[in-house]
Amino acid sequence: MKFGQEYQRVLATQDFPEQWRESAIEYKHLKKCIKKIHQELQSLGLDADTLRQMSEWVGESQAEQNDSKGYYSAATPSLASVPEEFTPQLRVLVDKRTGMPLDATLAPDTKSALQKLAKHEMMSAGRRDYLGASTPSNHAVRKSSVVGDTMEGTIMEAEDARWVQVPLASAKDFFDLLEPKLQDLEILRTAETEKLEEDILDLGDAVENVVQPVREGYEATRKLSYRDLYFWREMFRLYTENPIFYSGTESRRGALTFNEAKSRLQAYDAQLREIGLLEKMKTPQAKRAAQQFLDLNVNILRIMHFQEMNARAMTKILKKFDKRTHLEGQLFLKNLRTKYPALLTNSGKQSQMQSAGGFANSIARDLSAEIATKVLAIVPQPEDWDCPVCYSMAWRPVSLGCCRSVFCIRCIIKLQDEGMKRCPVCNQESVMKADGRNIDFEAMDFLQKYFPMETKKRQKENEKAALVRDYGEGFVKSGCAMQ
Amino acid sequence: MTAPLPKRIIKETERLQTEPVPGISAQPHDDNARYFDVMVQGPDGSCYEGGVFSLELFLPDDYPMTPPRIRFLTRIYHPNIDRLGRICLDVLKNNWSPALQIRTILLSIQALLGAPNPEDPLNEAVAKQWKENQGEAIKTAREWTKLYAQPKQ
Ligand SMILES: [Zn+2]
Ligand SMILES: [Zn+2]
Repeated sequence: MKFGQEYQRVLATQDFPEQWRESAIEYKHLKKCIKKIHQELQSLGLDADTLRQMSEWVGESQAEQNDSKGYYSAATPSLASVPEEFTPQLRVLVDKRTGMPLDATLAPDTKSALQKLAKHEMMSAGRRDYLGASTPSNHAVRKSSVVGDTMEGTIMEAEDARWVQVPLASAKDFFDLLEPKLQDLEILRTAETEKLEEDILDLGDAVENVVQPVREGYEATRKLSYRDLYFWREMFRLYTENPIFYSGTESRRGALTFNEAKSRLQAYDAQLREIGLLEKMKTPQAKRAAQQFLDLNVNILRIMHFQEMNARAMTKILKKFDKRTHLEGQLFLKNLRTKYPALLTNSGKQSQMQSAGGFANSIARDLSAEIATKVLAIVPQPEDWDCPVCYSMAWRPVSLGCCRSVFCIRCIIKLQDEGMKRCPVCNQESVMKADGRNIDFEAMDFLQKYFPMETKKRQKENEKAALVRDYGEGFVKSGCAMQ
Repeated sequence: MTAPLPKRIIKETERLQTEPVPGISAQPHDDNARYFDVMVQGPDGSCYEGGVFSLELFLPDDYPMTPPRIRFLTRIYHPNIDRLGRICLDVLKNNWSPALQIRTILLSIQALLGAPNPEDPLNEAVAKQWKENQGEAIKTAREWTKLYAQPKQ
């Protein structure tokens, strides 16, 4: 299917809000614009070859305005600044008096057409000067001493030549149509991100509510909800294990494409169903919150889909623009990136991996981070509390005071027995002076509430280890402490 | 009955498989989970580039209170590695910390290949050559890499 058709179909069939649809890039319309630009260029005698040649004249040096070697440029002259309106302009170096283009290779028809335009521009520029308005370009006079082959080594002095910017009416139409859409899309991104961030905060409250009784301690309600806590932990563990919108692993960092995100969300949903996690939840609040969590993910997916389609539409239409007009729409893209930092285009060059394009990328990144800190973090995972030495839960938790690491008491005792004075993490000599006062009661309280099963198990292991230390291995093995 | 494998070793081994370090692999033996076959690629830009070195690594009973025991099986021309493959590396001795891991140790060894230190030699002869005629020493190291450290097909 052609992209244009696919685009229209997605916009028509997906359940996007009306307001979104109004912000969508008008792909068809833009395509018509390109046709018009093409016609306008043809009428100036600027066919594809001539334009390509003109661009080549300027070539690489476009980036550095100061040593621009060319006499023609189809590019926007001021890349460093971000103009309010982007209009690709033809820059032509002409004879200061006659307005005749200085490139000898141009066809006579093209030359005279350009001369006409240049003269007109020079006149109106003169009028603007006369009226006291500033000249729109600082490129009008340029000292260019470097000369291409066609000039046969003649040195052009700045006094004889000047740059004239020739605006192209139809190209302006194209960008006038595209630019406001991007503004809309950016506004939409901000608004939707904010809305979803609100939802995330709400969800965070709901999740906190569900695990709340556990934090209250050993009350009657505990039995019920403590199981819910473990269900939630499992639900979040699976979610983090296979991130849906944004991958943060070493081999792959970045937002996933809509299609990937969609299949991951489906897989996650199927996984939850298979375990029957939602049905197992005890309290209605817990069930509601779980549904809320899934809905949130669906909503994020939807805005990603919409933004990604638009990003693809933009990339495609600019490519078409380049191909048909040789006016370097890519520069427009560069401009946009400065203007909208949230707009990441999927160049596909840096990595083989596809990632979400356009505003979808930052939406995925921002909201994933938001979910991680505001929702997932509410239910701590046991790995967050691993002792850095034995990789088991740091129970009982001991803080040495030298750094923020929390160790289990057994490991600290072992370190002391071995005479290892230095903190395993920060290397300060803090081990030997540790005693009962170093037990981190705050952490202990926290662990007991969030990991009632794990702490109980660790407690037993610790007791056994203490017996082994005090009375030897044989004592434990033969005795009844071994179960 | 052999003692059950500590959780720490299980977790480290798992992570080595699921998130391998580029240019390094460590595979435990089926019949002894404390004994690993290790492969380390010579770092790019060093005189060991292109070489694949095999090492053996053993986690003693009191690991991680004591460091892993590790040595090169592949012959290597390096001032800090002796003829028996023993390695002079501070983190394997005095600077060992129980928070270090197999992964971090192997990375240190790879880094040692990238930065030989003849001022703290284990192999006096090689270190002497390294100090007196570095060009010649590097040439020998390259030759040895070609000779002994070629990946098995
Ligand atoms: Zn520990
Ligand atoms: Zn410390």
